[in-house]
Amino acid sequence: MATVRFEGAGKRFGGVDALVDLHLDIEDGELAVLVGPSGSGKTTALRLLAGLESITSGHVWIGDKQVDALPPRDRDIAMVFQDYALYPQMTVYKNLAFGLRMRKVAPGDIDGQVLTAAKTLGLEDLLERRPRELSGGQRQRVALGRALVRQPQVFLMDEPLSNLDAKLRTQTRVEIARIQREFGITTVYVTHDQIEAMTLGRRVAVMRDGRLQQFDSPKGLYDRPANLFVASFIGSPAMNITEGSLEHAGDGLAIAFGDHRLAVGRPESRPDDGIGAYAGRKVLLGIRPEAMADASLALGTPEDRRMTVRVELREDVGSDVYAYFEGGPPVSNPGLAESPTGDDDEAGGNRRRTFVARLSPQSKAREGDAIQIAINDRALFFFDPDTGVRIG
Amino acid sequence: MVRSTASAPATVRTTWSAARARTRADAAPGERRSAAYLYILPALAFYGLFVLAPFGHSIALSFFDYDGISPGSWIGLANYKELLADSQTRGAFVHALVLVVFYAALPVAIGLLLAASLSRTRVRGLAWFRTVLFLPQIIPLVVVAVIWRYIYAPGEGPLNEALRATGLSGLARPWLGDFSWALPAVGIVGTWVQYGLCMVLFIAGVQKIPTSLYDAARVDGAGALNEFLAVTLPNLRNEIAVALTLTIIASLRNFDLIYLTTQGGPGNATSVPAFEVYNQAFEVGRVGFASAIGVTLALIIFAITIGVNRIAEARS
Amino acid sequence: MTGRGDRAVNYVILASFSLIALYPVAGIVLAAFQPPGSAAGGFSLPSELHLANFAEAWTQGHFASYLRSSLIVAVSVVFVSTLVSIMSGYAFGTMTFAGNKVLFYLFLLGLMVPLEGLVIPLYFDLRALSLTDTYWALILPQIGLSVAFGTFWMRAFFLATPRSLIEAAAIDGARRWSILWRVLVPFARPAVLTMMVLIFMWTWNEFLLALVMVSSESLRTAPLGLAFFQGQHVSDVTLLAAGAVIVALPVVVVYIFLQRHFIRGMISGSVVG
Repeated sequence: MATVRFEGAGKRFGGVDALVDLHLDIEDGELAVLVGPSGSGKTTALRLLAGLESITSGHVWIGDKQVDALPPRDRDIAMVFQDYALYPQMTVYKNLAFGLRMRKVAPGDIDGQVLTAAKTLGLEDLLERRPRELSGGQRQRVALGRALVRQPQVFLMDEPLSNLDAKLRTQTRVEIARIQREFGITTVYVTHDQIEAMTLGRRVAVMRDGRLQQFDSPKGLYDRPANLFVASFIGSPAMNITEGSLEHAGDGLAIAFGDHRLAVGRPESRPDDGIGAYAGRKVLLGIRPEAMADASLALGTPEDRRMTVRVELREDVGSDVYAYFEGGPPVSNPGLAESPTGDDDEAGGNRRRTFVARLSPQSKAREGDAIQIAINDRALFFFDPDTGVRIG
Repeated sequence: MVRSTASAPATVRTTWSAARARTRADAAPGERRSAAYLYILPALAFYGLFVLAPFGHSIALSFFDYDGISPGSWIGLANYKELLADSQTRGAFVHALVLVVFYAALPVAIGLLLAASLSRTRVRGLAWFRTVLFLPQIIPLVVVAVIWRYIYAPGEGPLNEALRATGLSGLARPWLGDFSWALPAVGIVGTWVQYGLCMVLFIAGVQKIPTSLYDAARVDGAGALNEFLAVTLPNLRNEIAVALTLTIIASLRNFDLIYLTTQGGPGNATSVPAFEVYNQAFEVGRVGFASAIGVTLALIIFAITIGVNRIAEARS
Repeated sequence: MTGRGDRAVNYVILASFSLIALYPVAGIVLAAFQPPGSAAGGFSLPSELHLANFAEAWTQGHFASYLRSSLIVAVSVVFVSTLVSIMSGYAFGTMTFAGNKVLFYLFLLGLMVPLEGLVIPLYFDLRALSLTDTYWALILPQIGLSVAFGTFWMRAFFLATPRSLIEAAAIDGARRWSILWRVLVPFARPAVLTMMVLIFMWTWNEFLLALVMVSSESLRTAPLGLAFFQGQHVSDVTLLAAGAVIVALPVVVVYIFLQRHFIRGMISGSVVG
């Protein structure tokens, strides 16, 4: 059991900064997730922690030991690799036992520890098989078992689910969460998948271009994203982003974007958020699809928190209805996360102009209809157009 | 046999890309970098002492007039000048060039012919054919020489017998002792040794070409010839480069067969550089001159290996 | 689609070329079984299998001694080259160190340099060390030539090995040496076998080096022995054929059992590149 601490950790490859000045404190027994697109530095951070790369600047601590110069074997860690990296010519039993043998554990103890780990993961019947005789899911569990068997201080997981199909991925995610809780081993988990990060992590570190953007609980990231990147990276479908201008409206503020105008509320009703300072200026506006409702089902929303739109496309997925409509002008801010699916390229600029709202399945809105969308004042996010930092 | 086999071409190609792929130029913590040298040291010692150093020494010797016994004297480039001027040595290089046709051009052509006809079919029993086709590649050249000396034997040899049996007795001759036929006769042995390799290489290559490419060509109205030129040939580029490198090197490094079948004769009709190296150094006693021939041969081989692969690479 | 006719033509082409490849080899085997001293009858089937040629070649031709020399040389060269190539290939394929490119190109040179280009000074240098006419003169240079290939071969294999395998072993607590021998080499077994088979074949078949280095009859390798035997028995075809079969047999037997390795190794240029 141990804490993990990155203290200004940095890594350069050739002339390229892969990781810049990372400060991160992970608590004992915590499952922390590093998430970000490729090239964000999340894997580099994990490999620095593992000792697979040497650190360029700063320090890494495991417990009260500074491990910068220690080889992987002396860090008391275990790692699950994306491709599992099982030893192909060894049986499952030998795969699990290898780390113990390398550490000169007494042969009698090896057997017990291997069997315990095998039992935890339901591998008892597979012990004499070789990796190539196993299914993807079974290999994954052997990889977990190999990490578990040594009872290390820290678990490292590098995209462990990315080679599984969707169903198995969910199952294994639950399994990892269960095991981690059961053994209480500090775990650092790397993924590019924000849903995986949000469901698994007690706290999630969002990374981008080698820099930490925010380290917070999933709820914290969702409710109080530090900047445009985090806001647009977290959540599915992604947050609608557009440009608008903040205006004085009576004794409060309003945001005007495209053909729409929504009341923001009085500055004093949003204490400490500094929004007043942006009155009369352009800002970036973000609205989560799930913060919008069909106004005909959300009676009582005041008129100035509604916008009238024409539904361009309706997607009914059963549990929800997605309505696409013309929101505000498109934004190409460098702070924006790219759509993970990249599918907005297909429809070109129009698609990016389009807002999406996640509506209740009771919504009767049809394509071509003009409907009213109700928006909660609290669900409006504002970002500085230059820095991308959230205002508030 | 040549120790470089097919790896030489692969080599040149992989090196650039692989060397680039692994520029993550730093070791993980706790790894002493100097350890790498310890792992390389034994190999380097053998290679350096018994290959690099003698090769360097060979280059040095090529600038001397040295008979192997009395002290040599520095004569600069005289050996190389003589190599170009001397008709016998020049002849040896010309013979090597002729042998390239038999060792490389013919086998590659035969292999391509087969590849063209096999391009759209899955062949059953391919493994068996492959085993047999490859056989001449693996048996010792000394044995190959024994076999073909018998086939070519004057008088009662199987070849002459066969010619007589088919009423062509006028063509029968002591093949390896005939001034105009000895070189082609040795060349045919080379063709026999090399064509199986080319066939196996090209069959493997052709089976990897997606059939959709052929379908596309056919839809576009390509006939058999255009199909071969537009699909088969370009997709076999790598295999052809490998085959050419291997067979050309084999034709240049042709000591065993010449020594064991004709000893360069009759006269100098089948003398080749590889044979001249041995002959000049150990029979005539002109060690410096022999070294110059050896070095020249090595340089030609370097140039061809690199050249063939550059061309193959440039086209891809 | 390809018609039946096309397919038949393919088989005829393949079969004829296979026959051409096989005929001389089969012929010499048949000749070896002809009655001793006969003219071998142009590779015809012997009326009965005469083993007398083999017996005579074996006793009179000293082939037992030649095979023993070849075996000593080949086994030593294969064993040492394999060991040493695995180590250097491991360094080039998995480690980073100053000068790795230069050193690797140096090894690459060895894949191309012909024995003809260095056999002369090799002879004089080894003679100066009194090593000519010993097994050392055959073993050491061939190790040198083989490790250039072996290093290249194993490097390519280790480069293609998933990096994570090495990293997993490092995290599991293995040091470099154990990673190589306990994780990578067992995994590399097929590649190592291919390399060994090729080195064996080259060493077994090597002629020029033996011709230059060895003068005592007791040290002659099989190909060199056969060459001298040929000189003594030019006209005795059946006896020569028996000798040739004896010399080729070991390498052909290995080929029959491990032909995949031979073929893959020798045409690997297209695979590795």
